[in-house]
Amino acid sequence: MALFARKDRLPIPPKNAEKKTTVCQYCNVGCGYDVYKWPVGKDGGKKPSQNALGIDFTKQRVALQGQAIVENMHTVITGKDGKQYNVLVIPSKNSPINRGNYSIRGGTNAQATYAPSKPTRNRLHYPLLRVGDQFQPVSWEEAIDIVARVVKGVKDNWGPDSIAMKVHDHGGSGSGFEDNWAVGKFFFIAVGTRMLSIHNRPAYNSEVWGQRERGTHELNYCYEDARLADTIVLWGANSFETASVFYTQHMLPNLQGATTEEKKKVYKRGEPVEAARMIVVDPRRTASVTVAEDVAPGRVLHLRPRLGTDYVLANAIARAIYEKGWHDKEFIEKRTDLKTFEDYKKKSLMLDVPYDRFMRDVEKLTGVSRKDIEKAAEWIAKPKKGGYRRRTLTIYEKGVIWGYKNYDTIAAISQIAALTGNYGKPGTGCGRQGGHQEGYVRPHSRSRAKLVGSIYAGGPPPNIDEYVKNDLKSKVYFVSGTDPYLSTPNAQAYKKRVHERTLALTEFLSEYAAAAGEPAGSEERARRIIEGLGKTQGLFLVVINMYQNETARDAHLILPAAGWGETPTTYINCNSRLLRIADKFADPPGDAKPDWWIWGRIATRMKELYEAEGNHEEAKYCSGMDWKSAAEVFADGASEFPNNKLSKADEAKLPAECYKGVTHDLLRKLGQKGIQTPVRIDPKTGKLVGTKRRYTYKFGTSDGKFKWYGTDPWSPDLNEFYPPQITKYFKNGNDRKFPFWFTNGRTQIFWQTGYHDRYLPEKVYTIPMPYIEMNTKDAKRLGIKSGDIVEVYNMEGNCVAVVYVNDSPPPGTVYGLMYRFHESLNHLTTDYTDPKTTIPWYKASRVGIRKLSGSLEHVRKFTSFLPINDFS
Amino acid sequence: MLQTTMSRRTFVGGSVVLGALLTSVRFSKAFVAPSLSYKRKRIANIRDLKNHKPVMFNYPDKDSPAMLVKLGRPAIGGVGPGKDIVAFSALCTHQGCPLNYSKVRFVCKCHYSMFDPAKNGQTYQGHASEWLPQIRLSVDSRGNIYAEAVEGLVWGRVINILPK
Repeated sequence: MALFARKDRLPIPPKNAEKKTTVCQYCNVGCGYDVYKWPVGKDGGKKPSQNALGIDFTKQRVALQGQAIVENMHTVITGKDGKQYNVLVIPSKNSPINRGNYSIRGGTNAQATYAPSKPTRNRLHYPLLRVGDQFQPVSWEEAIDIVARVVKGVKDNWGPDSIAMKVHDHGGSGSGFEDNWAVGKFFFIAVGTRMLSIHNRPAYNSEVWGQRERGTHELNYCYEDARLADTIVLWGANSFETASVFYTQHMLPNLQGATTEEKKKVYKRGEPVEAARMIVVDPRRTASVTVAEDVAPGRVLHLRPRLGTDYVLANAIARAIYEKGWHDKEFIEKRTDLKTFEDYKKKSLMLDVPYDRFMRDVEKLTGVSRKDIEKAAEWIAKPKKGGYRRRTLTIYEKGVIWGYKNYDTIAAISQIAALTGNYGKPGTGCGRQGGHQEGYVRPHSRSRAKLVGSIYAGGPPPNIDEYVKNDLKSKVYFVSGTDPYLSTPNAQAYKKRVHERTLALTEFLSEYAAAAGEPAGSEERARRIIEGLGKTQGLFLVVINMYQNETARDAHLILPAAGWGETPTTYINCNSRLLRIADKFADPPGDAKPDWWIWGRIATRMKELYEAEGNHEEAKYCSGMDWKSAAEVFADGASEFPNNKLSKADEAKLPAECYKGVTHDLLRKLGQKGIQTPVRIDPKTGKLVGTKRRYTYKFGTSDGKFKWYGTDPWSPDLNEFYPPQITKYFKNGNDRKFPFWFTNGRTQIFWQTGYHDRYLPEKVYTIPMPYIEMNTKDAKRLGIKSGDIVEVYNMEGNCVAVVYVNDSPPPGTVYGLMYRFHESLNHLTTDYTDPKTTIPWYKASRVGIRKLSGSLEHVRKFTSFLPINDFS
Repeated sequence: MLQTTMSRRTFVGGSVVLGALLTSVRFSKAFVAPSLSYKRKRIANIRDLKNHKPVMFNYPDKDSPAMLVKLGRPAIGGVGPGKDIVAFSALCTHQGCPLNYSKVRFVCKCHYSMFDPAKNGQTYQGHASEWLPQIRLSVDSRGNIYAEAVEGLVWGRVINILPK
């Protein structure tokens, strides 16, 4: 008995099936996929000559070599012509990234397509307008007119900063450069507000200014470097689960010694060639640690720092390297700024403090032993036999990005790479792993609002979560392509306030209608909304999304967006900056429209309204957004990039995403091969060329040199080290009430809030509710077993979760899934943000745990509670 | 019923909407496993089984390795007095590598997917987007265990029963 309908055969694409190039809509890896589409009933045959794939389907295919075609890769969709089509979305064997490999997320890409007979029928079909307690479908004309009038009216009355937003940024999740450019043009130019925030955080900021301000963009390596490195460092990155195919397709072969031939081709003559070692820095014993241990016992080092102490640990590893003389003196001399290096030596390496005393303090604070710190230093930097430098690739992600002191932590890690000469050479690099893929192009040069950088570059930027919660100057709030009711830090406090404020407006409008009747049209409705925003503490909330998400419950207007495969889009992956097209092969549901179209229509309507009242100045700012196609938006975005007719050495001057000269048509021709950004126009040949690896010649600073930075001083005393958001939990008996450290993260099983995945039976059975992982020792003490239901709570909020008992979190620390489909463990995160960047610290708070009576029988019966980090 | 008496010609000539509905029903019925004529095959006898000592066999044909295992505790789809005997395709649903059985679960050492045999072959960790196809079992009065059908697509095929 299968728990849900399974298939035991699939239709075969015929020779004349329509074929499209696409890229996975989910994680940073950017696996290539091929799409085949053909009418239902017109299947191809089993012989190679009878089908589009040229595969002999009369025979069993060979493991690994054969094309993967599994049940979830097939679906049936309905076209705008009312006809049904088979769609097959299979991992591309022509993609250099995945080479036919795929993940548990990407394997279900086909299921995310809209089909009226599938759960994706839950997609939004029409614009929805709130009237009292209900949502009513309205036309696009009506919806656009209301938004345009409200935005214009609010801006005219209270200024551009009264418009706030939290919108999907820098591409990914199936929306790339096109949507990103449209959002930027709308808010930067048409509106001109500073009150911007990014899908997963409270402000408009880079998560890695600590690295960027050193002169290195965070995406500087390429996937080949993971195959060529002597040592791979994963810092706060559980790549097996969150960059799955990058880990298994490129890192594992290197750990296994299967890439030595590739190494021999690029290493220097006489340079030793060995299988890689791996260092994982993570408080949890993640699957990324245990898989590596299974493959390469003895060549894996796991460091488990106390939460939030990573920058001290990074500086300690650097100090150990320096102390042993393993730093790359030639690189430092030639490629880095020696003036700021003095600051680095004093503040980060703390050379004034004797080494033994320094290490004692580090051990006390971080909980990592001196022995392990020195071993990490050796594996990263001790030159190989013959004096050849070790090639170390460092990949970091949310464990540190969303850690304590974001700026200093990212700076500290990226400076180890500079200290050891690990930029710009095969097998080296230091950068983030990435969450989703990237497609950042925004009109910074023409922005009407002054946007700021870190505290060292005019910042920090404002915290928009706090702005919409507490400052009544905020009047309109756009939330698009994200679900902050689940994903924002300190979510319980946030949604309480957004609810109160949106409700205030709704109640005003209802009372108005009770006295005067419902408004006669969009103009009158907008007028009343603006009046209500003036007279109450109200907030007008517009949600743009594919689904009616959690945040939408308080929206006044919900606009239905097209998704992946429903409009052509383009984005780069994170491991190689590989730009490809994710082409259109299906139609959006109902009247849903691409995001770029929606923003373009609102701006264009604002332009008409300004022109009608003779304000040609404002009308001008709202013009140039009446796009007709995604290709046109992509070309428009290219105008933001600087002149890219530059030599190879000057690639460092270009923005990481520069695609100037590339068109949708070119990307269709290039297919899975794509082109690596930044793209240059070769001054000699005039041809477009990609950039395989960055910073081989120069860094991205005015003089081309890496700029050092001295991190903040620290105390080994936890009461002095941590901010008040944490130390309040140490005082007044709170240490007994909230005895556990709490950290959080993702699961391999589903993507983000599971906006698509929540409709797949596999995911619902496997992750039936939020969960926490608890160490066996703690569980024993508390009498808790796997499958028990607990309440996790603290002074921020609470969440109910099912428990997995395993040895992944250290004793005294529980780990939780950051959020699930409707529930969020972000209720427990504090409102701390780094004063230098406004980046939140999601990864630590303190909690109490209470076992609830009874259990959920369905969960016990159908969910697996086997340890997810034991592969032996 | 109407649709069964319709000729192909009428069907094609029918309205788009009706055509779409009919095709949808035809499609969904045709592909839900088991949709094929599987042959029954004797695998083992209950008295020969020991907990966690898997029995390898091929099903539905010689190119499709499978594993029968007695888990020692009730399992979804389990047969026998303890409802603890289950069988699965032994090819990882991710890229077709052979699976190992240990610690009451299946592990693939190619890319480290893991499947829980007590929970319908659920992928509880790893890359495999499909759960392991479970093999429907029956037991006769003498304790003989038979494979009856495969619920889910065996890796490396677009149809579980290959043409002769």
